[in-house]
Amino acid sequence: MDASDVPPAPLLQLEDVQMHFPVREGLFLRSTRSCRAVDGVSLQLPAGETLGLVGESGCGKSTLGKCIVRLHQPTAGRIRFEGTDLAALGQAALKPWRRHLQMVFQDPVESLNARHTVGEIVAEPFVIHGEGDARERRERVLGLLEKVGLPAAAADRYPFEFSGGQRQRIGIARALALRPRLLVCDEPVSALDVSIQSQVLNLLLELQRELGLSYLFIAHNLAVVKHVSDRIAIMYLGRIVELAPAEDIYAAPRHPYTRALLSAIPRPEPRGTRERIALQGDVPSPISPPPGCPFHPRCPHATDRCRVEAPALRAAPGRPGHTVSCHLDL
Amino acid sequence: MTPVDAPAANDVILSVRDLVTTFDTDSGRLTAVDGVSFDVRRGRTLGIVGESGCGKSVTALSIMRLLPQPMGRIQGGRILFEGRDLATLPPAELHRIRGGRIGMIFQEPMTALNPVQPIGRQLSEVFLLHRTRDAADAWRRGTEMLRKAGIPAPEIRMHEYPHQLSGGMRQRVVIAMALACEPAVVIADEPTTALDVTIQAQILELMQALQRDLGLAVVLITHDLGVIAETCDDVIVMYAGRVAESGPVESIFDRPAHPYTRGLLDSIPRLEGTRKARLRVIEGMVPGLRDLPAGCRFHNRCPHRIDRCATAPNLEAVGPGHEAACHRWRELPPR
Amino acid sequence: MNLPRLRVDPLTHKKLQRFRSIQRGYVSFLILATAVVLSLAAELLVNSRALVVRHEGRWHFPTYGRIHTGKEFGLDYAYEVNYRELGRKFAADPSGRNWVLLPPVPYNPLENCHPGETFRPRPPDWARQNFLGTDQINRDILARLVYGFRNALAFAAAFIVLTYAVGISLGCLMGYFGGWFDLLVQRLIEIWSNIPFLFVVIIVASIVPAGIGMNLGVLLAIVVLFSWTGMTYYMRSATYREKARDYVHAAQVLGASTARILFRHILPNVLSTIVTFIPFTIASSISALTALDFLGFGLPPPTPSWGELLRQGTSNLQSPWIVASAFSALVLVLVLVTFIGEAIREAFDPRKFTLYQ
Ligand SMILES: Nc1ncnc2c1ncn2[C@@H]1O[C@H](COP(=O)(O)OP(=O)(O)OP(=O)(O)O)[C@@H](O)[C@H]1O
Ligand SMILES: Nc1ncnc2c1ncn2[C@@H]1O[C@H](COP(=O)(O)OP(=O)(O)OP(=O)(O)O)[C@@H](O)[C@H]1O
Ligand code: SF4
Ligand code: SF4
Ligand SMILES: [Mg+2]
Ligand SMILES: [Mg+2]
Repeated sequence: MDASDVPPAPLLQLEDVQMHFPVREGLFLRSTRSCRAVDGVSLQLPAGETLGLVGESGCGKSTLGKCIVRLHQPTAGRIRFEGTDLAALGQAALKPWRRHLQMVFQDPVESLNARHTVGEIVAEPFVIHGEGDARERRERVLGLLEKVGLPAAAADRYPFEFSGGQRQRIGIARALALRPRLLVCDEPVSALDVSIQSQVLNLLLELQRELGLSYLFIAHNLAVVKHVSDRIAIMYLGRIVELAPAEDIYAAPRHPYTRALLSAIPRPEPRGTRERIALQGDVPSPISPPPGCPFHPRCPHATDRCRVEAPALRAAPGRPGHTVSCHLDL
Repeated sequence: MTPVDAPAANDVILSVRDLVTTFDTDSGRLTAVDGVSFDVRRGRTLGIVGESGCGKSVTALSIMRLLPQPMGRIQGGRILFEGRDLATLPPAELHRIRGGRIGMIFQEPMTALNPVQPIGRQLSEVFLLHRTRDAADAWRRGTEMLRKAGIPAPEIRMHEYPHQLSGGMRQRVVIAMALACEPAVVIADEPTTALDVTIQAQILELMQALQRDLGLAVVLITHDLGVIAETCDDVIVMYAGRVAESGPVESIFDRPAHPYTRGLLDSIPRLEGTRKARLRVIEGMVPGLRDLPAGCRFHNRCPHRIDRCATAPNLEAVGPGHEAACHRWRELPPR
Repeated sequence: MNLPRLRVDPLTHKKLQRFRSIQRGYVSFLILATAVVLSLAAELLVNSRALVVRHEGRWHFPTYGRIHTGKEFGLDYAYEVNYRELGRKFAADPSGRNWVLLPPVPYNPLENCHPGETFRPRPPDWARQNFLGTDQINRDILARLVYGFRNALAFAAAFIVLTYAVGISLGCLMGYFGGWFDLLVQRLIEIWSNIPFLFVVIIVASIVPAGIGMNLGVLLAIVVLFSWTGMTYYMRSATYREKARDYVHAAQVLGASTARILFRHILPNVLSTIVTFIPFTIASSISALTALDFLGFGLPPPTPSWGELLRQGTSNLQSPWIVASAFSALVLVLVLVTFIGEAIREAFDPRKFTLYQ
C-alpha cells in the first residue's frame, strides 16, 4: 500500500440500506409486521479490498449480499456502484451492471444446475450477455477452468461428478466469466472440508491479486474472515455494530458482541485457558427486534440507557478507521 | 498395544474393536468403516474428527445399530458395552440400551424431535419407556431435565412444540432427552455444527457440565478441530473409513505423527496468522468410497509418500497412548 | 459443443439404469409396451377386413386401403365385402387361384359376428374365432377389448397432455411470480374444485345435442376441466421451491431473462420429478374413463369400451365370460401400470424408501 494517505475511491458504497421483508400472516395474508433483515447498513468498499462480514445466523449477512447483487430490491437506501445507485435501477437498466457484480454461493451443490454440463454452466454468462460465438465461448470457458485449477476435460462433465471443492471452483469460474469488479462471496468455504477450505481460500486470494477484485466476504468463521479481509464488519440483527481493520477487530474489539464472538470461537489449541464471555439467551428475532440497542438483552454491560436508546455507529476513540455502535467506551 | 499409562481396564465403558460397516449400493458394496477400534472411558470425552464422508456418522450409527436398512450392515468387529456385544444383540434388547444406557444427539435437532408433539410429551415418553410408569412423575422428571439443560422456565417450555424453539433451545431439548435416563455413554454426532459460535459455546459448556455431574462418557463427533481441542480428552482422526491417528488430545495437537493430521492442523487459518498469506494445503481431494487408493488411503495426497505406502500401514504406538498409521512417522521432519 | 448432440444427461441415465434393474417394474413395462405397440397395429390383428386378398391374379391389401365392394370380387352386392364370406367362397373353389388371408381375429368391434342368429351372449368359441366369446348383440369381445384398450390409451394420452400442459404452465407461472397472481388463481382453483364433477358430467351428457353426442372430445374436455388442478398445485410448489435455490439465483445475478430461467433452469429440473407421476395418471385416467362408461356417461354406443363391457357383464352374470374378460383386462393393465409407477418412483428417488432397524 504505497498510496496510503489517499484513501482509494470506494467501488461500492452502501447508504442506509434496508431490507424489510413483509411477514404475511392471517386469513388474507396481509402483511402487518415486517422482518427487518437488514436495517440501515452503511459501508464502503474500496477497489481491490476485501470487506469481511461476520455475524450469527439470521443476522442478515446473506440478505445484504443479495441486495448488493440485486437478488433483492432493498426497501430503502442506496447502493452506489462507482457512483451509480443500483437500488434505483429496474431489471433492464441493471443488466449491463450485472457483469461487474457477481456472487459466489455457499452451497456448491445447490448453486450449480445439475442438468447442465460444467461447460454450459460456465458459458452461461456469455450466452446471457451475448458474448462471442460458440467456439470463442468454448475457449474462454477452458481458460476460466484453467484459472480456477480444473482440467479442460471438466467442461463436458456434470457437476455431480465433482467434489465440493471442485464444484465451488466451478461456481467461482462462472462468477469470474464476465470479469467482474466485485465478488460477493456468501460463505464460500463453509460447506467445504477443512482440507479443501484452504485450497479455495488460496484461490480466492490469488485471483484477487491477479485481477484486482474486490470481495465482500461473508462468513461466520472469524478466523477465515480475518485471514482474507482487509476490514471486517460485525453484524448483529440487521445492523453493523463494529467495523474496523481486520487486525484491529481481533486485537482490540470494542463492541461487547464482538468480544463475545471472539471468545466463543473454539481454538485448535488444547489446554486453552481463555476466559470465555458467556452470552445469555438466543439471538432475538428480526421480526420484533428489541428497542434501544439491539444487543441489550444479551449484553453483559447493558445499562438503562441501552434499553431505550439505540447507539449510533461512531468512531472509536483513538483508533483510526475503527467504528463501533455502543454507548460505552470499553 | 499396552501403552504405559493405560487407564485401568474397568474404566472402559464402550469398546469398539475392528468395526467394519458396509453399504450395498447400485454400484456394489462400499466399505464405509474399515476396521475401526477405540475405547470410550468413563467420565472422559472421545473426539472423532475427520472430513466429510470419512465414516464418522456411520461409526456412530453402527454403535447404535441405526444403520439405514437394508443397505447398511455391520460386517465384522465387536462393539462391547457392559459385557455384551451390541453388534449381535437382538433388536428387543437393543431398544432397551438405545436411549436408556446409550444416548444419542444428532446434528439436526429437528430429526430427533417429533414436530407435532409438545416437547414435554416426547421427554416424558423417554422416562415412561425406561424409568417409570407414572405419567405425572415422568412429566416432573422431564421438567427437571430441561432445567438441568439450561432452559429457562421449563414448566412453560414443556408445553411448546419444537418449531416454537430456536435452534439452540432445540439442541438443549435433544440433549435433555439423550441424558434423561442417565446413560453411561452419550454419542453426539456434530451436536453444534448447525449452531452459531456463541450458541455452540453454550451447548459445549452445558455438555461438559452435565458430563462432570453425571460422570458420563461422551463420544463427540465433529469436523472442527477447535471443538476437539477445547472439549476432548482423547481424539481419533479418521480418514476414508480408517483411523489415521489416535491419542490424547495434547499429543495429537502438539506432536501430530500422521501426515494427514499435520496437514489438517497446518491448513486451518488461525486468528494469530498472517493475513492473506498463502495457506498450506493438502493437495487433491478426499477419495470417494468407490475409488479408494490401495495401501495407505492417504497416499494419493501425501507429500511424504514412498513406494512402501502402496501397502497399508498398521497403527503403531508413537507415544504414550498415541498411535498413528503411517510407515514413515519416525522419519517425518519435526513440525 | 458446436455440434448439436442428442444427450441423455448422466443423472437421467442412472435413473433409467436403476429402473431397468427393478425387475418387476421393468418386466411390467415391457409387457405393457408390447401391448401398446400391438394395439396400435390392431387393424392387422383384429379386423373384419382381410390382410391380403388374391383375386384373379391381383393382390389387394384392404386393411388400410380403400373400401372394396362385393362386386369387385364377383359377389352380388355393391356394399363392402364381407371378407369372411369371401374367404369361405374362395376356399370352396378347388382351383385355389383366389384366396383371402384374414387377421387372427376376423371381426371388427362394431359388427354383429353372426348375422341372422339371435342376439345373445355366446361363450368362447375357438372354431368361430370368437376367442373370448361374444356380447349381448353378438359382437366379438376380444375385438371390443382391444379397441377399447386403444381408446382408453388415446384418452389417457390426450388427458395427460392436456392436464399437464395446463397444470405445468399455470403452476409454473404461479410459483415463479407468486404475489397477487398466485393468490387469485389459488382462490379460483378452490372455487372450481368445489364443483361436483359427476353432476356436471350428467348435466352435460343430457344437454349435448344428440347430433354431436358424448364423443371422446367432449368427455375428455370435461374430465380435463376437473383434473388439471392437482398438477397445478404440484407445479406451483415445485417451482416455488426450485426458484429459491441458488442455481436460479446465480442465473438471476448473471442477468438471465425470466424465460431463460423458466425454460433452461426451472422446468428441466421440475419435469424430471413429474415423470414419476405419469404412470399413476395413466392408471387414474383409464379407471375414470372406465367408470364413466360403466355408469353410462361415457363414450356413446357403439364405441368399444371397457366400462361398457363391464356394464354388460354385470347385468349378464349368467354369461360370466363377459365380465371376466373385461375385469381381468382392467385389473391386469392397472396392476402393470402400478408396478411401473412404483419402479419409476423408486428409481428416481431411492432414498425415500429406506427403513431403519
Ligand atoms: N426472502 C425472504 N423472505 C422473508 N424473510 C427472509 C427472506 N430472506 C431472509 N429472510 C429473513 O431475514 C433474516 C436474515 O436472513 P439472512 O439469510 O440474511 O441471514 P444470514 O445472516 O445470511 O444467516 P446465515 O448465517 O444463517 O446464512 C432471517 O430472519 C430470515 O428469516
Ligand atoms: N445409506 C448409505 N448408502 C450408501 N453409502 C452411504 C450411506 N450412508 C453413508 N454412506 C457412505 O459412507 C461414508 C461415510 O459416511 P458418514 O456419514 O459416516 O460420513 P461422516 O464422516 O459422518 O461425514 P459428514 O462430516 O459429512 O457427516 C460416506 O462416503 C457415505 O457416502
Ligand atoms: S449499547 Fe449497551 S447494550 Fe448495546 S452493546 Fe453497548 S453496552 Fe451493550
Ligand atoms: S504411509 Fe506413506 S502415504 Fe500414508 S501417510 Fe504415511 S507417508 Fe503418507
Ligand atoms: Mg446466509
Ligand atoms: Mg456425519
